[in-house]
Amino acid sequence: MTTSRLKIMVIDDDPDFRAAMTAILTSVPYDVVAAAGVADAKPKILAERPDLILLDIMMDSLFDGFSLCHSLKTSKEFEAVRTTPVIFVSAVKDLAGSRFGFKGEEQGMAGPDDYIDKPVAPADLLARIDRLLKR
Amino acid sequence: MPDPLILIIDDEESMRDSCSQILLKGRYRVETASDGTAGLEKIRALRPDAVIVDLKMPGISGFEVIEELGRIDPRIMAIVVTGYATVESAVEAMKKGAYDFLPKPFTPEELRMILSRALEHRRVALEAETLRREKQLLEENFITMVSHQLRSPLVAIQQYFEVILSDLAGPVEDKPKDMIRRASERLTGLLHLINDWLDLARIDQKGLIGKVKPLDLGRMLRKLVDFIAPSATESGATLEWRGPDNEPFFALGDEESLEQVFTNLLSNAISYNKPGGRVDISLRREPGFIVCEVRDTGIGIAKDHLPLIFDQFYQVSRRESKRGKGSGLGLSIAKKIVEAHDGRIEVSSEPGVGSSFTVWIPASGRSGEGA
Repeated sequence: MTTSRLKIMVIDDDPDFRAAMTAILTSVPYDVVAAAGVADAKPKILAERPDLILLDIMMDSLFDGFSLCHSLKTSKEFEAVRTTPVIFVSAVKDLAGSRFGFKGEEQGMAGPDDYIDKPVAPADLLARIDRLLKR
Repeated sequence: MPDPLILIIDDEESMRDSCSQILLKGRYRVETASDGTAGLEKIRALRPDAVIVDLKMPGISGFEVIEELGRIDPRIMAIVVTGYATVESAVEAMKKGAYDFLPKPFTPEELRMILSRALEHRRVALEAETLRREKQLLEENFITMVSHQLRSPLVAIQQYFEVILSDLAGPVEDKPKDMIRRASERLTGLLHLINDWLDLARIDQKGLIGKVKPLDLGRMLRKLVDFIAPSATESGATLEWRGPDNEPFFALGDEESLEQVFTNLLSNAISYNKPGGRVDISLRREPGFIVCEVRDTGIGIAKDHLPLIFDQFYQVSRRESKRGKGSGLGLSIAKKIVEAHDGRIEVSSEPGVGSSFTVWIPASGRSGEGA
């Protein structure tokens, strides 16, 4: 029985973070697809169909990350990938209010499946990914 | 800029008419009302720049109008006029918030002058308010910007260390590995320090806690535990919510700052724990309070250190902690936040066995009213 590897997409404008995440993820092994921003990511998500997405919410504008997540979970454009789990990654702990209370929810935005702070502890990240992929 | 809007509240029609005439000549827009109640309605609807109000009217008095005006918008200037001018009524009017007092009979010139001064006063006050708000926004943005610029490169460095130390970048000899581990600890300390200073700066800027509202502490803490549990496991400790479940625990609190408090307590409990240790968090009710307890099986705190641990910058020895803790500001900020809620925070500990932090927050009534 051939099992293909699970594929994780990393969306972050910091090339160092993309490199570090690639090292962590390929160790499992997962396949890794990287994107440098929301615009870069959108066509790649539909083309590559990742099994999970790591999304940095500190890119240029806070709104970019939040609205991409909302689109992925609610829009017609991303209907085919709607069930893809999304993990928000953040370097600054309390943008837009408390990071636990995703304030976007108050404005009717669909939130992520999990959150993780930078710097990411490899074991913590892999445990969270594992939890979501097993669901 | 539209001409200033002046509302004249007087039961005498002749007064309303003559005042209107005077003011319309002076490039003001004018509205009138014949009693206090109608006047207040117009104030709420039209938000005039100033109000000229007669003290003695049937129905609600000029005094009551001024008082209510202050509650609606204290930046609207009130000028009181009356035929029964006495020192007492003048003082009373000013105490209730009137800008000035004009005894009848008065000349058109006197009315225009007093109004002109009142509007100038308003203009200056509004300008000061705008400047203050702009300054606050700039400071908030500055703090966020500085924090991001400081943290970003440090986080990137730390991230690479994490990967190396997890053996994910190829084999590393013990000696260099130890040095990298040590470097990583120092970096963690620096990141904590920046966080703590950032907290202090923001607290200075905004005030210690936001608006206090009825908050379900059970729900908040369960979410927190869900979030932190995986990183606890990764640190070799088990974090568990000990309930109770299925009932709300409404306290009067500011969610953001209380989350900060409990995050700090939980992350301390995890950091200072023994390998394979436990952290338990639970809630209970006491008269007038919701009480949260965080127990750990950690290294504990020596008896003579106990009274000092909430002091700013005080740090218990880090010899046995997994990662270098920060600046020592965390617990002192936590205590300040809890006390700003009219609550209290207590600690008990046995070195080698563990510690227990107890936080008391005033309870809110079931329907969300104050306790």
